[in-house]
Amino acid sequence: MNAQDQEAIFRRWLEAHLGLMLKVVRGCAATPPDQEDLFQDVLLQIWSSIPAFRGEAKETTWIYRVAFNTALAWRRGERRRRVGHETFLKFDISPQAHPSHAEVLPEQELVEQLYVAIRRLPKVDASLALMHLDGLSYQEMAEVLGISENYIGVKLNRLRKQLAEQLKGGGDGL
Amino acid sequence: MDFEDFQKAWQAQDAGAQVTIDAQVLLREVRRNAEQFRATIFWRDVREVGVAFLLAIFFMGDGLRLKDWTNGLVGLGCFGVGAFMVLDRMRQSRKQPVANDSLKTCAESSLSQVNHQIWLLKNVLWWYLLPIGAPLAVSTGISLWQSRQVTSQLLGLSAYGLGCILLYWGIYWINQYAVRKNLEPRRQELETLLGSLKSNNETQP
Repeated sequence: MNAQDQEAIFRRWLEAHLGLMLKVVRGCAATPPDQEDLFQDVLLQIWSSIPAFRGEAKETTWIYRVAFNTALAWRRGERRRRVGHETFLKFDISPQAHPSHAEVLPEQELVEQLYVAIRRLPKVDASLALMHLDGLSYQEMAEVLGISENYIGVKLNRLRKQLAEQLKGGGDGL
Repeated sequence: MDFEDFQKAWQAQDAGAQVTIDAQVLLREVRRNAEQFRATIFWRDVREVGVAFLLAIFFMGDGLRLKDWTNGLVGLGCFGVGAFMVLDRMRQSRKQPVANDSLKTCAESSLSQVNHQIWLLKNVLWWYLLPIGAPLAVSTGISLWQSRQVTSQLLGLSAYGLGCILLYWGIYWINQYAVRKNLEPRRQELETLLGSLKSNNETQP
């Protein structure tokens, strides 16, 4: 694969799957600097993984794999110093960053509570929750995590109850 | 409120809406980071292995020039350490986790790497300290023996012994500290993660 093809695929993935990447990042890192740091790592790994992409896996499955594996290796507080790096993104995704927005929609609030609850889960459960909320099939989730579909079912049952309990009463205890 | 409501709200969010990306700068950054990462790994290897081989050349050359087999022995020790590092890096590079592996495979590869790092640091005495230290001790011992002055022999040996013990203890301690502080927690983290990826059927013998 030449550099132009790699760049074209990267641009297309960025346009089509930016939301997916950001959901994983926000589900794994809490503060904006951590999120920015992890996001840069995810982008770097996705870029490096493109030459190995043969189209056998779905793009979303591939990106989930790369993003989760990057989040697995990424550790909070170990930010690499990127000397002289240029700012390529304005990372302003938390509603707290918009104090002028007095009213936050109930759905947005629920989503924020979900992010908080997901970040409290063990890494595997957090990955599973992110994919399940996004509506991936059991087969796709099994491919990403490398476990059987049956076991996905068992884990999801527990996870759904756990998340529902945590968010009961508008996110008590979150 | 049930899980379907969560899914509905989740899928309705526009996660990318509040992020502005300059694609051109991003591409430049991603390329630069990828190159920087490759360069860091390359120069780290060159530095560590290069020093061992440079010392090997120096001591072997010195041994040949002065017809002193003990210096040759030290050079051989340094060469052995360098060769071990090269072989180990080559062997481990084939086991590197791949970013697009499944989470389970990636965690298994990472765990195997961490275990190997722990093994290396715990055995630093055998593959790093002794191969260089033992020939150096032989070389120093023989030089002192040949001086034929009992006082200087005793003083020299004591100073050399004490210096070696302090230096080796320091290196050994730093390595064990790195194991305790960084690698053991990482190993536990990966083992927990792998444990949660194994169903009850898989974990039971």
